[in-house]
Amino acid sequence: MNPLLAQFLAEANDLLAQVDEGLLQLERDPGDPELVNEVFRAAHTFKGSSGLFDFPELTRLTHAAEDLLDAVRGGRLALDSGMTDDLLASFDLIRGWLAHVTTHERLPSGAGSDAAGLITRLRAPLGGEAAPSAPSAAGPAVLVDTAPDWLAYLDAEWLTETAGWLSTTGSTLRFLWYTPDTDCFFRAEDPLHLIRQLPALDRLSVVQPGTWPAVQEYDEYTCMLSFLVVTRASLGELNHLFRYVTDQIEIVELDADAITRHLSGEPPLRAEEVMTVAVTPVIDTEMAADARSVLHAAHRALTMDGVVTEGTRIRSVRHAVAAAARSLGVPVDLGAAGPAELLTAIDLLAGEAAPAPVAIAPVPAAPPRAEERVESRADDPGGQVGTRVLKVDQEKVDRLMELVGELNVAKNGLTFLAASAEEEFGSRALSRRIKDQYAGLHRIAEELQSAVMDVRMLPLSVAFSRFPRLVRDLSRRLGKNIELVTEGGDTMADKDVIEALGDPLVHLVRNSLDHGIETPDERSLRGKSHTARLTLTAVADGDAVIVEVSDDGRGVDPDRVKHKAYEKGLISEEELETLSDVDAVDLVFRPGFSTADQVSDLSGRGVGMDAVRASVEKLGGAVTMRSKLGQGTSTRLRLPLSMAVTQVMVVSVAGQRFGIPVDLVVETVKVPAGGMGRVLHQDVVMMRGEVVPVIDLARALDMPWSLPETADRPILVVSVNGQRVGLLVEQFHREVDVILKPMEGLLAYADEFSGTALLGDGLVLLVLNMKEVLGLAARVA
Amino acid sequence: MPLELHEETANLVGVVTVDEVEQLVGWLRTAKRPRVALRRCNHLHTGALQALLLFRPKISSAPADAFLAAQVLPLLAGGGGPAKPGSESP
Repeated sequence: MNPLLAQFLAEANDLLAQVDEGLLQLERDPGDPELVNEVFRAAHTFKGSSGLFDFPELTRLTHAAEDLLDAVRGGRLALDSGMTDDLLASFDLIRGWLAHVTTHERLPSGAGSDAAGLITRLRAPLGGEAAPSAPSAAGPAVLVDTAPDWLAYLDAEWLTETAGWLSTTGSTLRFLWYTPDTDCFFRAEDPLHLIRQLPALDRLSVVQPGTWPAVQEYDEYTCMLSFLVVTRASLGELNHLFRYVTDQIEIVELDADAITRHLSGEPPLRAEEVMTVAVTPVIDTEMAADARSVLHAAHRALTMDGVVTEGTRIRSVRHAVAAAARSLGVPVDLGAAGPAELLTAIDLLAGEAAPAPVAIAPVPAAPPRAEERVESRADDPGGQVGTRVLKVDQEKVDRLMELVGELNVAKNGLTFLAASAEEEFGSRALSRRIKDQYAGLHRIAEELQSAVMDVRMLPLSVAFSRFPRLVRDLSRRLGKNIELVTEGGDTMADKDVIEALGDPLVHLVRNSLDHGIETPDERSLRGKSHTARLTLTAVADGDAVIVEVSDDGRGVDPDRVKHKAYEKGLISEEELETLSDVDAVDLVFRPGFSTADQVSDLSGRGVGMDAVRASVEKLGGAVTMRSKLGQGTSTRLRLPLSMAVTQVMVVSVAGQRFGIPVDLVVETVKVPAGGMGRVLHQDVVMMRGEVVPVIDLARALDMPWSLPETADRPILVVSVNGQRVGLLVEQFHREVDVILKPMEGLLAYADEFSGTALLGDGLVLLVLNMKEVLGLAARVA
Repeated sequence: MPLELHEETANLVGVVTVDEVEQLVGWLRTAKRPRVALRRCNHLHTGALQALLLFRPKISSAPADAFLAAQVLPLLAGGGGPAKPGSESP
């Protein structure tokens, strides 16, 4: 299943529950604006997300529900139990649909007709709308509607002929009234093209606005036309073709009788009808609201003494009432009505416009059959929507992780217990049994840990998801053509890693867009394709995840970088001469370095790359950059899969134990005292033909201690920033998995430690931040 | 190219999409006695049709396309179309 749809279904379940609960509470406490708001928001979210998928019925039904709730929220309507029933029925129906979607990935086939009845009922309290007269595909009986006013746009001669033919053959014709939204061109709709696709088109009439705007003011992107189509195509075909514009069409099925009745009935309103319908294609609910206010005003005018007398005044009132009546779909004949008759008409019409709908003859009413069917559907328990997803507060997972850490610590305590059982109490058998217990506990703890870690895992696509938009916006601003390719979005990594990855990635992508990728002109000069390619790749690599940002832009010029760095005093003259190209590229990570000659608002303030390196290293990762001049740059971030558990190597210095991240450790060696050399003021050791500087960790940490002259020197070789350094320590211990806690409070300033961890024997282990320790050692020396 | 615009005559060729509407309207605004040939036109976007209905240029050749010839041309030929009651009302 499409991941977006899966997510929608999971969310939908929550939203549905929220709506249900909210509606039920509302019924008990109708006045609570906060509750209404909550339900409205849920419905609104629902509608919004449903629009992403090809479920037009779902969107329409939620839209209707949203409109009703909006009216309630705005205080224009009081929620009664009838409306609540309709709303609940709607959301039950939706639940049924979504259960169907979960298994079949599409709506049930009867969705359109099921929804139609409900939509009409939901719309009814709003003054009703000329709802798409509910198509009933069910049942052999052909539904014949009464002729609507707009039939007047067809010429009478043709209608008479057609009526004759229909009565001879006992058949019906479908009449479609289509008023496209004025802004439909912007949605890539082409009404004429839609009509063109209609099979068996019999007659097309294009209704033009009564008054065209002046040529200078004519907006060619506003659709001002309406269409009247007569077709022999079946209702099913019509509904299918016009499924995306159902709110803009009206379909009636007429037989000879209906047409004849229309022809014989005198149509005095037609001339003005053209004005109201064709010139202002307004949304019906708005029209109904307008009609209500017009009627209200007319009523006031008539009841106020002396305001309305015979003559022009009453004519204008009569005109207003007639127009309101038409917009409500209840044309009345007010030929020469006096004030009294007008008042009666207004009362009648007000009833029509009021929340309680009164079915009056010519309103194309929805067939009751559809409603009954909906009722029976709504009673279904409604299956399972979406997969079973449990939403858990992040803090609870973090707490669980912490507890796993504590369990690990407690578990490690058993090994010490086993040792003391043997040493202190002399019971080897007990020691072995404790060790057995430990093994079992260890296995469970490991599994528990990986299960909790698994909960925290997210796909990298989460981190990548913001880039399509970012790249699009930036590339437009910069006038560059860029194609973004993401690969390996399903690689999983810990939530913390993914979150922390966000900023560095944005820096890198911006840098690529701004500095790396050339303008289209420059690209074509160099014989590259116009469209540049920016690739985001993620791959899992054992305990780490590698994220690479690469572009096929101009690449980094090592000479330029070197000169720039020299100008800024970041490297010495010697280095300028001797630095290799690879090392030169690495200079961009130095603090205060920026090659851009101009500072742009995107990047180029010289804070980018060193910030990237710093934040990635803080996560326990590494950044490297490779670049080929003229061919592109790729920056590779290597991050631990999880930051929750760190493997450290424990060593002791001057009687105190310290942890060093295992990632950094290259090897441990014991060098005879005579094997140590000294170059300038630096102790060194020769290893496989390589000179490795050795730092006395005790001196660096300011802990007075020295080894006996003759003893072997235990040296831990670590690799920091690609350089090997030996650390002189007192003793090696084992490797342990620890949960690293950052330094807090009074010790927060101590940069030389990256955090503390609790060991199994209750000892607090300080874990060293090797980069800082090396800096410290350099200062001490 | 769906639009071949000359000083007083325009040739609509193939499918006229919404992208051509602006250009067509611009031309209709400036041309003094516009004449539009529809012979090779296969489809008119609604916007283009609306523009032709507003500016009422002389149609110099009938479209070969059956739908346009049967349903749309009568509207453009001016008068006699079924839309008459609509277009002539106040």
